[in-house]
Amino acid sequence: MEISSLKRERGAGRRLRPHAVHRKQRLFVTASLTPIFILFTVFAFVPIVWSLILSFYQYSPLREESPFIGLENYIRLFSDELFLKSLGVTFKFVAAAVIANIIITLLIAIAVNSVRFRGLRSLFRTIFFLPAIAPLAGTAVVWSTMFNYDNGLFNMILAQFNLAPINWLGDPAYALFSVIMMTLWADIGYNVVLFMAGLDSVPDIYYEAARLEGATRLQTFWHITLPLLSRTTLFVSVTTIVSYFQAFPQFQIMTKGEPFNETRVLALHIYDQAFSNSNMGYASAMAAVLLLIILLVTMIQLRAGRSQWEH
Amino acid sequence: MTRRFTWLEGVIIAILLVCAAIMLLPYLWMVLSSFKSNLEIISSATSFVPQNPTLDGYRAVFEEAPFLTWLLNSAITAVIITAATLFTSALAGYVFAKFTFPGKRLMFLLVLATMMIPFQVIMIPTYLIISKLGLINNLAAIIVPSLISSYGVFLAKQFIEDIPRDLLEAARIDGAGELRIMWRIVMPLILPMLSALGIFTFMAAWNNYLWPLIAINDMDRMTVPMALVFFNGAHQVNYNVVMSAAVLITLPVIIVFLIFQKQFIKGLTMTGMK
Repeated sequence: MEISSLKRERGAGRRLRPHAVHRKQRLFVTASLTPIFILFTVFAFVPIVWSLILSFYQYSPLREESPFIGLENYIRLFSDELFLKSLGVTFKFVAAAVIANIIITLLIAIAVNSVRFRGLRSLFRTIFFLPAIAPLAGTAVVWSTMFNYDNGLFNMILAQFNLAPINWLGDPAYALFSVIMMTLWADIGYNVVLFMAGLDSVPDIYYEAARLEGATRLQTFWHITLPLLSRTTLFVSVTTIVSYFQAFPQFQIMTKGEPFNETRVLALHIYDQAFSNSNMGYASAMAAVLLLIILLVTMIQLRAGRSQWEH
Repeated sequence: MTRRFTWLEGVIIAILLVCAAIMLLPYLWMVLSSFKSNLEIISSATSFVPQNPTLDGYRAVFEEAPFLTWLLNSAITAVIITAATLFTSALAGYVFAKFTFPGKRLMFLLVLATMMIPFQVIMIPTYLIISKLGLINNLAAIIVPSLISSYGVFLAKQFIEDIPRDLLEAARIDGAGELRIMWRIVMPLILPMLSALGIFTFMAAWNNYLWPLIAINDMDRMTVPMALVFFNGAHQVNYNVVMSAAVLITLPVIIVFLIFQKQFIKGLTMTGMK
């Protein structure tokens, strides 16, 4: 009896001063969102728009004038052999590295998840994840010494088997492959953890049912594990594709785009054009192409995600 | 049946052990190389294990460069960025989750849209803005653009939406201000999400290479990833110095990771799958 009357009083109190409460909350919303939105405006919205505008100018911070040249930067892109080459290298890198990454991480995650001793399982997970926390720039430096022709680790191993040394980062046939190898070592940890979490969320009932029906291990994997992992796989693929399109430190540190521009990915080319050659307008047009590619990948993800929603 | 499975399990564990050894090999290479002498590296008959272990590499790291300053620069920028990002994300997340105001949907959509923008697109204008503000070569150039995170705002909003409205309403009736409600009720309730976001923000800031490379030229203002590249440029032949620096930089990160591993893995799966 007392409680209910108290409640009524409180309710009444709330209804008595609706305007005061409203105003105080409006003040809070304005006061807290204004600084945050100024930061978003200055460091996110304005740069995006500015970058697109810059791509229509022949802008260089070193020159006095920066004339408006319309679509000329974009037209130039299609006849620029170096740009087309870097576009090709980028797609080659992303395709090879992403496919290798997904296959390797999926296999490792399944293998680690099948280990029954909990301690051993988390030890494996830790070891595979460890490289992902080190600065990529540092990893690139360490790996370039391992790729060293005269006294690097890989040629040391080859020598053990009486094989001829390889110029890992200097030979056009091996350079991209070498960078991919390093990228995989540095990056598989994330996807291993994500796949392991995805596998954990598959209900045991499905496996028990499969066992009762006498399915083989391969059949179980193909018809139960893979389909139920499809959402995880989609998520992992898209985040990996998007991040590999922007891969930069390993290329800038290990190869600088060499040899013969065989490792000149788009991210490196944009950086070089903007900050080594000061062609910021032209670099912005390249960045716009990169943006378009990433938006397309993301849109394809949303499409695929919608159709694969139920299983 | 059972026997076949244990046999298969043995093979799987054996393969995993080999893979794990391969994963650890670069670390072993790094540590062992850091104890080699210049002479040993230059001589073509280098072996995996140092023949005459020496601390020359480590000595050079501290003698040739302001290494401690670089560590401090990294620590300062990463701590400020992490603290600020947690605060702004929680605040904006709270506002977007629990208040209605005109333009809310559009504003949130704009914030979300920036998540898809590759850094290569915004780096040129950001450089121009930072230099107009006169911050090039200043640690603030690294900090200021990273005070906010669209990903953080998005995550915070998702988690704060689950907090029952009655709880906040009760605090309001007791006379608590909004900032106090956020600090005393909202923040503690989303602590797991905040700690995951904090770890990731800190790591991303600590490991960031591209933006400091653009914004910083002065040796005294460099951060740790640039320091390694500096040594690599100066010691491509005597890489024991480079490896010593790499060990000094990697070791603290690994120790921190091993301490916070549980939160880290949880955070990765939580934020990754959301």
